[in-house]
This record gives sequence, C-alpha cells and structure tokens, in this order.
Amino acid sequence: MAVKSKLVSLLFLVATLSSTFAASFSNSDSDSDLLNELVSLRSTSESGVIHLDDHGISKFLTSASTPRPYSLLVFFDATQLHSKNELRLQELRREFGIVSASFLANNNGSEGTKLFFCEIEFSQSQSSFQLFGVNALPHIRLVSPSISNLRDESGQMDQSDYSRLAESMAEFVEQRTKLKVGPIQRPPLLSKPQIGVIVALIVIATPFVIKRVLKGETILHDSRLWLSGAIFIYFFSVAGTMHNIIRKMPMFLQDRNDPNKLVFFYQGSGMQLGAEGFAVGFLYTVVGLLLAFVTNVLVRVKNLTAQRLIMLLALFISFWAVKKVVYLDNWKTGYGIHPYWPSSWR
Amino acid sequence: MAALESPQPGTPTAMRNAFGNVLSVLILVLIGVLAFSIRLFSVIKYESVIHEFDPYFNYRVTQFLSKNGIYEFWNWFDDRTWYPLGRVIGGTVYPGLTLTAGTIWWVLNSLNIPLSVETVCVFTAPVFSAFASWATYLLTKEVKGSGAGLAAAALLAMVPSYISRSVAGSYDNEAVAIFALIFTFYLYIKTLNTGSLFYATLNALAYFYMVCSWGGYTFIINLIPMHVLLCIVTGRYSPRLYIAYAPLVVLGTLLAALVPVVGFNAVLTSEHFASFLVFIIIHVVALVYYIKGILSPKMFKVAVTLVVSIGMVVCFIVVAILVALVASSPTGGWSGRSLSLLDPTYASKYIPIIASVSEHQPPTWPSYFMDINVLAFLVPAGIIACFSPLSDASSFVVLYIVMSVYFSGVMVRLMLVLAPAACIMSGIALSQAFDVFTGSIKYQLGASSNSTDDAEDNTSTNNAPKDDASAGKTDKGEEIVKERSSKKGKKKEREPADKPSVKSKIKKKALVLPLEASIVALLLLIMLGAFYVIHCVWAAAEAYSAPSIVLTSQSRDGLHVFDDFRESYAWLSHNTDVDDKVASWWDYGYQTTAMANRTVIVDNNTWNNTHIATVGTAMSSPEKAAWEIFNSLDVKYVLVVFGGLIGYPSDDINKFLWMVRIGGGVFPHIKEADYLRDGQYRIDSEATPTMLNCLMYKLSYYRFVETDGKGYDRVRRTEIGKKNFKLTHFEEVFTSHHWMVRIYKLKPPRNRIRGRTKKLKSKTSSGLSSKSVKKNPWI
Repeated sequence: MAVKSKLVSLLFLVATLSSTFAASFSNSDSDSDLLNELVSLRSTSESGVIHLDDHGISKFLTSASTPRPYSLLVFFDATQLHSKNELRLQELRREFGIVSASFLANNNGSEGTKLFFCEIEFSQSQSSFQLFGVNALPHIRLVSPSISNLRDESGQMDQSDYSRLAESMAEFVEQRTKLKVGPIQRPPLLSKPQIGVIVALIVIATPFVIKRVLKGETILHDSRLWLSGAIFIYFFSVAGTMHNIIRKMPMFLQDRNDPNKLVFFYQGSGMQLGAEGFAVGFLYTVVGLLLAFVTNVLVRVKNLTAQRLIMLLALFISFWAVKKVVYLDNWKTGYGIHPYWPSSWR
Repeated sequence: MAALESPQPGTPTAMRNAFGNVLSVLILVLIGVLAFSIRLFSVIKYESVIHEFDPYFNYRVTQFLSKNGIYEFWNWFDDRTWYPLGRVIGGTVYPGLTLTAGTIWWVLNSLNIPLSVETVCVFTAPVFSAFASWATYLLTKEVKGSGAGLAAAALLAMVPSYISRSVAGSYDNEAVAIFALIFTFYLYIKTLNTGSLFYATLNALAYFYMVCSWGGYTFIINLIPMHVLLCIVTGRYSPRLYIAYAPLVVLGTLLAALVPVVGFNAVLTSEHFASFLVFIIIHVVALVYYIKGILSPKMFKVAVTLVVSIGMVVCFIVVAILVALVASSPTGGWSGRSLSLLDPTYASKYIPIIASVSEHQPPTWPSYFMDINVLAFLVPAGIIACFSPLSDASSFVVLYIVMSVYFSGVMVRLMLVLAPAACIMSGIALSQAFDVFTGSIKYQLGASSNSTDDAEDNTSTNNAPKDDASAGKTDKGEEIVKERSSKKGKKKEREPADKPSVKSKIKKKALVLPLEASIVALLLLIMLGAFYVIHCVWAAAEAYSAPSIVLTSQSRDGLHVFDDFRESYAWLSHNTDVDDKVASWWDYGYQTTAMANRTVIVDNNTWNNTHIATVGTAMSSPEKAAWEIFNSLDVKYVLVVFGGLIGYPSDDINKFLWMVRIGGGVFPHIKEADYLRDGQYRIDSEATPTMLNCLMYKLSYYRFVETDGKGYDRVRRTEIGKKNFKLTHFEEVFTSHHWMVRIYKLKPPRNRIRGRTKKLKSKTSSGLSSKSVKKNPWI
C-alpha cells in the first residue's frame, strides 16, 4: 500500500511539475487562452473560418504579444461588393472555406492550432480594414506570428496565388507557413445518400427503359429531339462558348472611357466576349435554319402570296445576317479579303 | 437535247444517266485539279520548300527511308536528337505519311521520272487533298446522292481549314490523314448501306492506313462505336450494322496493333475501350434479334427477360472491369490530349506543355469564319436535310458534325476534322436548295409552255438523290433475303419505309416556290458561293501559304525577304563540327537536325517533359547556372530566335514565359512570379531583376542597343530595360542578317587551365598572380 501511495504521489508531482513547466514554456497563460478561444470559435463555424470583427482583431492580433503562437490567414470580405462579379469575392470566399476545411481535416494534432482561417467584413469592421491598410479587394493576408505592424504587406496573397482557386491558395499557405495543408477536399457534388438513391433509381428504371427501348417508344426515338440537340450543339460551338468557359470571359465589358457604356464586341481575333459570341453564333445558325425552313416547310404551303412574302423576308434576313457577319469579321480581325482579278481587267 | 425529248421511254433516261455520269466524272476531275492547284500558291509566291517545323522532321525521315530502305527505317535509332537520350524513330513515329511519300518517290524513280525526295514531299499534300475531295464525293453520295456529293467535293477542295494544313510544302501527317479519315468513313457508310463483307474488309484496311498516318484515328474508333450505339438505342439495329461494325473492331484493332507507335495501346488505353464495349453490346443485341426471329412472340417474351438479364449482367461486369482499368492507370487511362477534350480546363491546369501550343487553344467565332467561312451558315440547313428522312448514313454524318464541331470548340486544331463534316453538310444543304429553287423555276416556266412532260422530267431530276437512295434500299433488301430468310419483322418495317417515298414523289409535283423569289434566292446562293471562292483563294494565297522558314513583308519600298533561318542553319552546318550539340527551345529542334544536321537537346516531339524543362530552366537561369546546365549536356552552341529588330512576333522572348512555366513545373526554384512585375510580363526598365538577368534576356538583347542607340524592341513596342551588359560565360559567334537568329558559343571552362598556368607562372614569377584574382575566372 505504502509503495502504491508513494507512486501515486510521485505521479501527481510529475504531473504538476510538467504542467507548470509547459505553462512557463509557452510564455504565459494568455496565449493558451487565446488559442483555446480560437479553437472554440473555429469549431462553431462549419468550414472552420472564424468570423472576426474589430474587437476580435484587436484581441487576437494587435493586443496579443509577438511572437504569437499562431498565424492568421485573413480574408477581407465586403458584402456590398458581392454584386460585382468581376471581383469574384463570393467564389474566392467559398474556395477559402474549402482550403480551411481541408486544412482542418488533414491536420488534427498540434499542427492544426498553428494556423487559423479568419474573415472580416468591411461594413462591420471598417477600422480593421484601415489598420491593415486594405483598400482594394479581393485581398487575402497571412499574418505570421512575428508580425506586429499590420500594415506590413509581405503576407499578402498575390493574384496569381488565387488564380487556381483553392489549390494555389493552399500552395501559398504551405510555402509561407511551412505547414501542410494536404489534399484539397472539395465537397462532392452529390452526397452519399443522394448517390445511393440515384443508383437505386437507375437500377429500378433500367428494365422499364429496356422494355420501352425494345418497343421503340422512348423520347430517344423522336428525331426532333436529336435534331434540336444537334442544332444546339452546333450553335453552342460556333458561338465560341467553349472559349468563354475556358478563359472565363465575361458577357460584356465596361467601357474604360465611359463607365455607362457597355462594350459588347472586342476588337482583336484572339479574344471574344460572351454576348458577342452568342450574337454571332445566332447569326451563323439562323441563316441555315431559314434556308431549311424555305426548302422543307415553305414548299408545302399552298398560299402563293404567303410563300412569296415569307420567302422574301427570309432572304432579306439571311442576306443581312451574312453581311453583318462579314462586316464584323473584317472589323474584328482586320483582314482585308479581296478577290484576284486577271490583270488585264484592270 | 433532241435526243432527250425522243418519245421512246427507255432511251432518254439511259442517255440522261450516261450523260450525267460523264459530266460527273468531268466535274470530279476538275475538282481534283482545283484542289491541287489552289494549294500551289506557296510554291508560286515563295519557292518549292518544306514548311514550318514538323514537316522538316518528316522530310528528314523520308530522306532516310529512301536512302536506307524500309527495314533500316523501322530500326532507326536517331542519336542526333534528345541528346544524350536519343530517340527510336521507327517506334515513335506514325509511318503512314513517310511510307506514302517514300512509295511515291520509289514508283516515280522506277518509272524513270527522276524527282528529288524534297519535290515529292512538297507535293504530297496537294495530291492527297485531291484524293480527299473525291473521297468526300463518295461519302456524300452514299448519304444524299451524287448532286450533294459533287457540291461537297467542290467545297472540300477549297475549304480554308484543310488548305491550312495541306498547301504544297506542308508535309505533315494531316495531309494524308484527312483523306484517310474521309475514306474510312465512306467505306463504313458503304458497308452500312450494302452489308457487304468486301467493303467491311476494305474499311478495316482504310482504318489501318489512318492509324498509320495520324494520332487522330482515335476520333474514328470513338465516333463509329457511338454511331452504332446510337443506331441500337434508336431501334435501327440491322445485320448490316453488325457487318459494318464487328469486322472493323476485330480486324482494325489487330491491324492497329501492328503499328509500332500504337502497339498494345490499341487494347490497353481507354480511348479504345468504347469500341470494345459497343462490340459486346452489339453482340447482345444481335442475339436478341436472332432469338426474336426464331421464336414465336409469346416465347420471345419469356426469352427476352432471360437474355436481357444475362446480357445486362455481362455488360455490368465488363463496365466494372473497364472502370477499374481506367481508374487504375495513372492519368485515368486517358492521355493528356484526350482528357483536355473531355474536360476543357484540364490542360491549362495541369499540362503546360500542351497548353503552350497555340493550336491547342479554344477558338473564337472569327476562327470559324476564317476556316470554314460561309459553310458555317449552311451547316444547320444540312443537318435538317439529313433528318428528312433520317437514314443510317445520314445519322452518321449528323453525329460526325456534332462531335467534330464540339471538339473544334475545345481545340482550334480540330477545326481540321470539322472541315470535312461541314463540307458534307453544306454540300447537302446547297444541293437541296438548288434542287428546290431550280425545280420551282423549271416547273413554272414549263407550266406556261407544255406542262405535263416537263413536270415529269422535273420530278425525276428533283428526286435523283432519292431514287438512288431507294435503289440502294432495294439492293439491301435483296441481300438480306439472301442472307437470312427469318427477317419477317425487318421486311414489314421496310415496306412502309418505301411507300412514303412513292407518295412524296406524287406530292412533290405541287411543291414549288414562287418564281421570282426562287430566282432571287438562287442568285443569292450563287453570290454566297462566289464569296466562298473569293475567301478561299484569298486564304490560300495570303493567310496559309507562308512557309514560315522564309518570311516576307510588303512595305512601301517593296518586298522584303527575311531568310535568316536558312542563313543560320547553313552557318551552323558549315562552321561547326558535325558532332557539336546545339541547344535551343524545342520549336527549332526539327529544323536544326534536318537543315543543319547538328545534334539537338530537345525537339518538337515533346516526349520527355523533364528534358524540355531542363532547357527551359537553363534559359530562365542566370548565366552561370545556365552555363553549368548546358555544359553538363555537352552543349557547344545556344541558338535563340529574336524578333525585336524587325518585329517578328513569334520569337523566344514571347515564348519565354512558357519556358519558365515548363521549367518551373519540374524544377521548383524557377518561379513564374519572379519574372512578372505585378502579374505583367515586361522587358522594359520595370522588369524584375530575375528577368533582366536570365539567359534568354541576355542572349536576345546582347549588343541590341548598338543597332539604334536606344534598344527599341519592335515586338514588345518598348525600350529594353537593361541595355549595356557583357556576357561572361557565352560568346556571340553568329547573328543573322536581320538579327532573327543569334548563335552563342559556350566559353570553355578556363579556370582549370588558368590554374595550371598559375602554377607555371608561380614557378617563374609569383608577383603577378595576385593581380588577376578579382577577374572573372570564366573569361
């Protein structure tokens, strides 16, 4: 018994000693308090992004003594600018959340408390924006432990660092903090039960579908569906929509000289705007459709005057469309297409 | 004309047909001449010379083939490229083009027509574009009759997109591959229409030729299965479909595996899996139809559940295996280029070497107008014409245009595959429109004079394509009867299909448009066609004929010719040792080996990303580091292309960011951000120090300020940032007339020799040595 109680007391002693040692090693209690508070704040939000205001900034950054035991990656948000699509604030905020969630999921131990993802909102914390000297968005800033002057912009994320969204943000974080973010875990498009339901539905539906296919009465047998699909894909492609998707082109631009004027057509053949593509794609398609209409449908109309009027209208529209495209093409590319006449004709 | 109006019933149509056939042949010959001659602008305006980059490699391979024979060619290990790795040419090249040109050269020579290999190579492409337009005629004729065929062939003969790849001198795979592509499709349709095994075998052979010629054969081996699947799903399965498909897969895959560059890829990579999957499906379906034929309807209902369930199980197993196979391979089984088609953003994210090539960019709408011109307007009409009525053949061309137009939207290069489809569709549309309009005019003019006779004539000409199609149908009918007698259901389906065509014939008499409107429409169509011709001739003459090895520019003082490339390659071959290694960016690798006969480090066959990244890193590094990299590769000369003096935009400085990106992809100490000032690429005084100190900058702008005193770069339209500097590890040995090509020699590492001299000197006099310590040891 005596031995046992001795052992217990010894253990107790060791425990107290080590805890005091640990506390003294981490400089002060306030640091661990701050850490605990940050961790608890983080656990309340879904993706692990802590929403800070002026008070939070002063508490965790300005009044905390350097070096702080944590880095903060701050996303500067402004709800009033969400309507401006070219800033991509909402998209970046979403990606920021994904990086944060991936970081949390991949770092469970002590590594997880070295970096916290925060956001501050302009209308709620204007003074913090001034404190950071942020006057243009999008802006993401890493505040590393040793930084005391918040105006120090060395931690700013460049445009190239969020150009590839979450992946490049994670690279930035790994480069600067030497912490591992790990693989980006995007939420799957469909959750697991949803996938299960869909698979079950497909399995149940297959016999019926096969039965109908064998009978030949699905919508797949309706050639009009295929026809409209084919025409649509044609329109989609010649409009250069793929280019707009890959290059993420906007539908139109604002004129630099006159902000009220919108630019729909971009001069120079390497680039096009969304609306421009659709307009010309429509012109491309409409001529063929009118021609098909005249040769397939209009010939069956009995009324001669109606035929005449519709046909003249169709011809006029087609002529105008071709002319317009030729004009636009010459304007856009600057090519001077010219015929070659025999020299004796000149 | 008198003969045509003779009263005997049999003779006029026979005469008409004979006359029509002769006329068709004549037109086809003219189309061939047109296709050939429109591509000669490059020879007339410039000279008979091989163009651009890849053709030089093909030319060099053909030279080797004609000199050493086919077996040597097959085993050729090329040590003049990818130093020190080398390249197995026989196993990594699509041999179709080379073998074709080699054969032509051999045949001509054995006929005692002494043409040089170069001449044969220069004119291969125009000859094959004539073949391609004839193949288009055949294909379109199978779909919608000979009128549409002729129109499509004429359109294809001068479609700018195809011209861009097949002008005289553009000796590249696509030149023969487009012909092979169209011809394979023709044989597939022909088999589908006739159900003949003879054509099925030919089809497999044509497919083999296509596999030999171009990596684009995967388009065929995915498109045809898709069409088969489409036919099955829409209830169009027939034994003809089986004959058209099954032999193609079996024979075609076996033959494809014979081509060394494809080899076991023909069964291992997932680009081919679709065809195997459909191969299984078509067998299941064929079994179902077979059982349906031999059983009574009641029994069939019982059997169908059985067969379908077994078939489903088999399918599921196979699908599972395929998915597992695809998932297990590193890129998901799909090569990068194919993946970038399915997920268009893939390449730009992960593979800079693919994204860097300009022909892999997505096109904008002017590209379509430039490359298929007014065909873009006519295609929708052609699609609709193919749907009325929809046949197996017309559904195939619809699928072809839809697929190719989608893929062309992802990669501008695939516009080339779209062009034949667009020509076929436009040919069908044009021919239908001409049919209707001329028919209306003829009917109404005839109605005023003698109504009955001409009306009949009119219908017969109007329906000429339809007649052909229905004749084809009866043929098929007969053959099927020969094959199997159990196709009751099939026959029933066929009969109503034939009836409407008879009905429509009767109806068609009344189907006319107003006279004057038809005339106006006809005139407008002719104007449209004329505009197309003007555009194509202009494109052939101005846009696509430049050989890019010789450049010209028209200014007020007349024509300027920039022949710097050949000048410098000639310099290399005359002034350097035959075993010297020349480093340049990969674009100029093929030209250097072919024209200067010097060993290069990387070339346009971008098979080894690391090696290219090494060169990219050297170009992006400061002089000393670059010297070390190059020296470790035994490089003696470095060649850079510089356009700043004359304003040649596709020079190395403009390509430099890609060197950085590709280099940085493998060697992370090269970071793109170090070369950009606020995300902008600039070379003026605002440029970053890393940029101003990298090798590419120095080699490009060395002594540039001596030209005009300011160092004004005409491509970037700015004065350069760092004007006066000296090279420490490289010395300039050659700069071409217009400064387009600059060649530098690596300075020998003098320090070791200097150390020896130091020793020698210290023996004689020790006082001098301390003086030279501060000097750069490399000089």
